Amino acid sequence: MERAVPGLTRVTFTNLEKVLYRDQGITKAKVIEYYIRIAPRILPFLKDRPVVLNRFPEGIDRQGFYEKDAPGGTPEWVEIFTRYSETADRDVHYIVCNTLDTLLWLANLAALEINIPLSRTISYDTPDMVFLDLDPEPPLRFPDVTRIAMLLREHLISIGLYCYVKTSGKKGIHAVIPVLPEYTFRQTRDFAHRIGREIAAMDSLVVSEFPHSRDPGTVFVDYLQNARGKTMICPYSLRAVSGAPASTPVTWDELGGGATPEGYNILNVPSRKENPWAKILEDRQKLPEEYL
Amino acid sequence: MGKNPGRQAKTAGRVSVEKGEPAPGPEPARPKVQRRPIWSGAISIGLVNVPVRVFSMIRDVSFSFRLLHKADGQPLKYERVCTRDGVVVPWEETVKGYEVRKDEYVVFEKSELAAIAPESDRIIRIDKFVHYLSLDPIYFDTPYILAPDRSHAAYALLLTAFQELSQAGVGKITLRTKEYPVVIHPYRGGLVMTTLRYAEEVTAPGSLEDLSVLPAPTGKELDLARRIITDLTGDFDIHEYHDSYGERVTGLIEKKLAGETVHAEPPKKAEAKELMAALEETLAQLPHQ
Repeated sequence: MERAVPGLTRVTFTNLEKVLYRDQGITKAKVIEYYIRIAPRILPFLKDRPVVLNRFPEGIDRQGFYEKDAPGGTPEWVEIFTRYSETADRDVHYIVCNTLDTLLWLANLAALEINIPLSRTISYDTPDMVFLDLDPEPPLRFPDVTRIAMLLREHLISIGLYCYVKTSGKKGIHAVIPVLPEYTFRQTRDFAHRIGREIAAMDSLVVSEFPHSRDPGTVFVDYLQNARGKTMICPYSLRAVSGAPASTPVTWDELGGGATPEGYNILNVPSRKENPWAKILEDRQKLPEEYL
Repeated sequence: MGKNPGRQAKTAGRVSVEKGEPAPGPEPARPKVQRRPIWSGAISIGLVNVPVRVFSMIRDVSFSFRLLHKADGQPLKYERVCTRDGVVVPWEETVKGYEVRKDEYVVFEKSELAAIAPESDRIIRIDKFVHYLSLDPIYFDTPYILAPDRSHAAYALLLTAFQELSQAGVGKITLRTKEYPVVIHPYRGGLVMTTLRYAEEVTAPGSLEDLSVLPAPTGKELDLARRIITDLTGDFDIHEYHDSYGERVTGLIEKKLAGETVHAEPPKKAEAKELMAALEETLAQLPHQ
């Protein structure tokens, strides 16, 4: 057991030498160090967003678990947001990670993956992000999904919107349009679905409808996460796959220059100079009237 | 002679005369042990010195449990806490006190006690020889194995002489800071030294109040008791006795190992330090927490 120096953190770190990523021998200490170093970048995205965790206390080779509720033993200084959940059909006590201490506590819980909703606690029913998840099915690979992301970008620019992209950390690319929190999830979902249909009309690899989402050789524009209580992997969250990649905001130049998901990981992301999403939350846009 | 200890040891091992030993039971075959001696010096008999090393003979096989914090499974440690203000007192700030009356102590500095501590002259001084079976086993405390120290011939000679005469030597030794009466006797191919208790350490049963006045049994009762004892009379074999509690604990440990165990995490100072250094850097970057 390690007790932190008083004044630095209220978190007591445990099991520091537990290996969480076996292939690379990455210990929990390294995971915690990652979240410490990435804190200035990840905390703005966690702010006021009740998180959903994927915890892997025994490492990524063992079954992890999905956690919406603040677990037993949650310190009293951790902020909690209680809201009725339709899917769970009960009140859920979500964790809100508004402080570095809470982030470190999550890291110590081996919450490798931190998921955020597309709305904040203060306006829980009106999202401030539209999320399009570009998900390639084999044999398509990252370069294919990159090309579709470029197409999406151009299409959105043509209707007066700018989108931001990040690697999912796994196979896909996440595109996010920050919006003013004045739309319902129904509206953002319909908007995302329509954009998907429009892209599908432009490129035969793209599918916009869920029944086709697993068709081989397609890229599904997943609009379904635009719903109350649904989540997106938080920018800069680690992913629970070999190599410890992080879901990393990237520039369009990086994406066009052959970026790969594995290229952004626990080792190099904290020292990254680029910060492509630095202003995303100040760039909230209005959706075009004709799309509503 | 020290150049060929193997051959000397063999000589000693060949000695087969085994007189005067109390009923040796069957001994399961064990590999020859080579451990660290706890003491080394010499047996001194008159003008003769036989250099020996002392090894422990008793293995404690009882189970010891570590006390853990229920909440997080981490081992607990003991600290010296002042009974007045509850403050943890470092070793340097402690003295020894002998309680003469309740809450009244005579205080000693460590140097004062060191000055009167018995000096270990590294000698097991044998005063006389007695028949081993004449010793009252009540006084037996802890047995140790005596092994030859370089001079195997001298040791072999002493061992053989002890065996042939069925004798045991009694004398004294200073181990650490205490002086003990000891008895040395041959036992299963070697010399064993057993520390003895002092007479004043042993309470006579007759001094217990319950035992001061006992009724005399009737002849009939005594006959019955005799018959029972005769029926149950046999030879002593320690192997008939097993630590059944220990076996149950072992079984339980094995079960727990197959399922869930509380893991103790030894502190990894370096890792925590790295984290703290990273934390300091990050805290400096963050606007405020």
